[in-house]
Amino acid sequence: MLGFPSRATSGTTLPIGGDPRLAEEVTERVAARVLARAARPRGRPVEEVVNETLYDERLRLSRVPETDRTRADAAFYAEIRRELPHASEARHRTLLRAVIRHYIDEIAGHFDQRVYEVATRALPVGLAGLLHGLDPVRILEAPREALRLDEHVVLEGDVDAMCALTRRGVVLLAPTHSSNLDSPILGWAIHRLGLPPFAYGAGLNLLANPVVGLFLLYLGAYTIDRQKTDPLYRDALKEYATVAIELGQHELFFPGGTRSHSGAIETHLKKGLLGCALEAFRSNLLAKKAAPRVFIVPCTLTYPLVLEASSLAHGYLESEGRERYIQPPDESDRIRRWLDFLRGITALDLRIHVRFGQALDPMGNRVTPDGTSLDPRGRPLDPGRYLLSDGVVTDDPARDAEYTRTLARRLVASYLAENVALPGHVLAAAFFELLRKRAAQPDLYRLLRSLDSDTCATLAEVEAAVDTLLGELSAIAAEGRIQLGPGVHDTTARALVPAALRALSAYHPTPPIVQRGLRLAVGDANLLFFYRNRLEGYDLPSMPRLLPRGATE
Amino acid sequence: MTAELCVLGAGNWGTTLAALAAQAGRRVTLWTRDEGQCAEIREQHTNARAVPGLALPPSLHATSDLTEAATGAEVILIVIPAQSFREVARTLGEVLAPEQLVLHAAKGIETTSLRRMTEILAEETCALQIGVVSGPNIAGEIAEGKPAGTVVASHFPRVVDAARRMLGGPRMMVFHGDDVIGVELAGALKNIVAIAAGMATEMSVGENAKALLITRGLAEIQRLAVAMGAQSATFAGLAGIGDLMVTCQSPRSRNHRVGVALARGMTLDAAVASLGMVAEGVPTSHAAHELLRRYRIDAPLLERVHRVLYDGLSPHDGLGQLMRLPAGPDVSRL
Repeated sequence: MLGFPSRATSGTTLPIGGDPRLAEEVTERVAARVLARAARPRGRPVEEVVNETLYDERLRLSRVPETDRTRADAAFYAEIRRELPHASEARHRTLLRAVIRHYIDEIAGHFDQRVYEVATRALPVGLAGLLHGLDPVRILEAPREALRLDEHVVLEGDVDAMCALTRRGVVLLAPTHSSNLDSPILGWAIHRLGLPPFAYGAGLNLLANPVVGLFLLYLGAYTIDRQKTDPLYRDALKEYATVAIELGQHELFFPGGTRSHSGAIETHLKKGLLGCALEAFRSNLLAKKAAPRVFIVPCTLTYPLVLEASSLAHGYLESEGRERYIQPPDESDRIRRWLDFLRGITALDLRIHVRFGQALDPMGNRVTPDGTSLDPRGRPLDPGRYLLSDGVVTDDPARDAEYTRTLARRLVASYLAENVALPGHVLAAAFFELLRKRAAQPDLYRLLRSLDSDTCATLAEVEAAVDTLLGELSAIAAEGRIQLGPGVHDTTARALVPAALRALSAYHPTPPIVQRGLRLAVGDANLLFFYRNRLEGYDLPSMPRLLPRGATE
Repeated sequence: MTAELCVLGAGNWGTTLAALAAQAGRRVTLWTRDEGQCAEIREQHTNARAVPGLALPPSLHATSDLTEAATGAEVILIVIPAQSFREVARTLGEVLAPEQLVLHAAKGIETTSLRRMTEILAEETCALQIGVVSGPNIAGEIAEGKPAGTVVASHFPRVVDAARRMLGGPRMMVFHGDDVIGVELAGALKNIVAIAAGMATEMSVGENAKALLITRGLAEIQRLAVAMGAQSATFAGLAGIGDLMVTCQSPRSRNHRVGVALARGMTLDAAVASLGMVAEGVPTSHAAHELLRRYRIDAPLLERVHRVLYDGLSPHDGLGQLMRLPAGPDVSRL
């Protein structure tokens, strides 16, 4: 078991990618698990495990475009394949470690402290430059723009609590995922709050993104290749995140996995990486560390406009929400679309809301800013005791998986409660419901196909629907079940509708809703559906559920 | 010495389960808030009001101090009527430790919140390792030493193991599952069908009509439960059809007796008072009525029982209305 000192409280800012102990520890742990399984009666021999890697990787390499990286992978596996049939059992173990190490080296990336420091300084400037529609090549020449990022990104919620918790243990920041802009904005937020950097598991496609990749590569980002199906790779990835937490590294990861294609708050969370929090907490307790605690901070990012809304909505409807690991190029790959988007945001003085919820412990209990876990009635409790069996901390995978499910459910509840309803969401939801009721078409996909520029409602009808929805939203906001953003709080439809129309028209070539005199008509039905979905999941009387219920609800 | 099993609630089912575990050699503490009942169990080893005639094992410890009863116990089993469950859970929350395992054997739904008992536990205590015990278990028969089977449902294997250790034995087979919602709802909702079956028994409508009533009732409670997240297969098991059979057929079933009393022309208050015990089906009918509306489920039998209980519909008219409904497909896919 690791006896490394925790760095959570030591104040150093070196991201974990630069720590040489990490790769060794992860390789040893993953290999030890495979060897332990192999030693059981009817256990899987090591040779077979390595063979499975060769098979899965060959399949993957046959499907992806050739790059320097894939050529290097192919050469590496050719060497293993050549040696494996003739190798001794001892050599099998060496080859297993080599495969795991190969994976870890890709995951860990190539962290460079000097580049990191430059990038950290450049990031806010670069983002501000982007938000002001500057040419990305010139952004470094306009450092004064950095000051203005505060005007467009609002950090709200339990901000102070999150900052305090980074000094009491390790923080896992778990945000909702709407856009490829999320990670740079969170990177900026972490920097802006004066926190040490967070490690971040970024998809390979995101790292290859011409705009975002610049800001991620050296920000403690490690690599996740979602096209790798080999169980050994997933094991290595999970272990990497776990050991990094044990080493005191704060992390950022999106529990929803990919961006929300429907536009809704994600209600189906990936429990694999989420479970690392509990794994690391248990290891820390067993190692009797001074600061063993791990805190999960829910966070919502709410955009008045979503950069990739059009592609995401299209993808959702095409695949009915199934995950698509091979992402076709979308708006986030085209600098021109970024500039249009950012100009839209700045021209109308719109704000992106980054809202931090109350922190949770690895079992999903609420945590105070001083790190105390609370039961549902607000009584303090010792979370380590959940891991006791006959008085000792035990490894119980079935129990721990259930605890992680509880955490996931409570994260989803927090996402819904910290979601910020903005005017565009309210108008899209009310207008869509009005048209849906009128069409009386039970099939969602047929309904969407039937909505075109001839589908209209009078302004008066829409305003009445918006007023009804505002009443329902105010009622659930009073119970703390949602947040009402500027332009939605304490307002009427008369004031909300024009503001929402302006916001929704600021970026999309065909906006979701267009005004024609005293009537509103459908512009882009898919976008209308996408923005409407942000208010899905609350079971409001005027908004029945249209999306399948998430597994984590 | 700290108890292995702490049973909260010394009604007839709580006392019977506590006695069963104590007879199997477990260290058991039984909690009741009634000092007199507590003294009777401790000194005379009987609980005449709840289980008349049953001799309790002398090793069964009784207390009226909930802190003393629950502190340090490996397993806590709550056997409290649904409408009083929250109050006891809240008090338990003051002393419960995160590593303790919590089971309940209450067959009802809280009418004010429409919550299941495990949901109340999650709201009032730090307990995460929780489960439910339910099945065709007429307490009197088990107290008489007759064999029976029950189900424990939990997502935690350790909770299942503990329940089997504490309750299982030659007189009690403990089956297991992970459909907590299904087992809780099956146990609660079948009581409404039992009230209808009691009415049918008293009205001498014949066994054919009773089978019709019970089967349609099962389909309705299953439909509602599946909408609430239960697995439909649970209703083919002990907690579903098993419990429904015994509750609808046995004259010892409390809810069945309420149905009989209502069909004899007694008022609801008089019917409940004649039992001297809680009939969970009465408040559960009200909860189900609200849930059916919330989940938009059509359930003519459950609704007729609700109208008999709360809206003055006569049992005879209720049954007549049901027979005039158009017959749809026998089995619908859930």
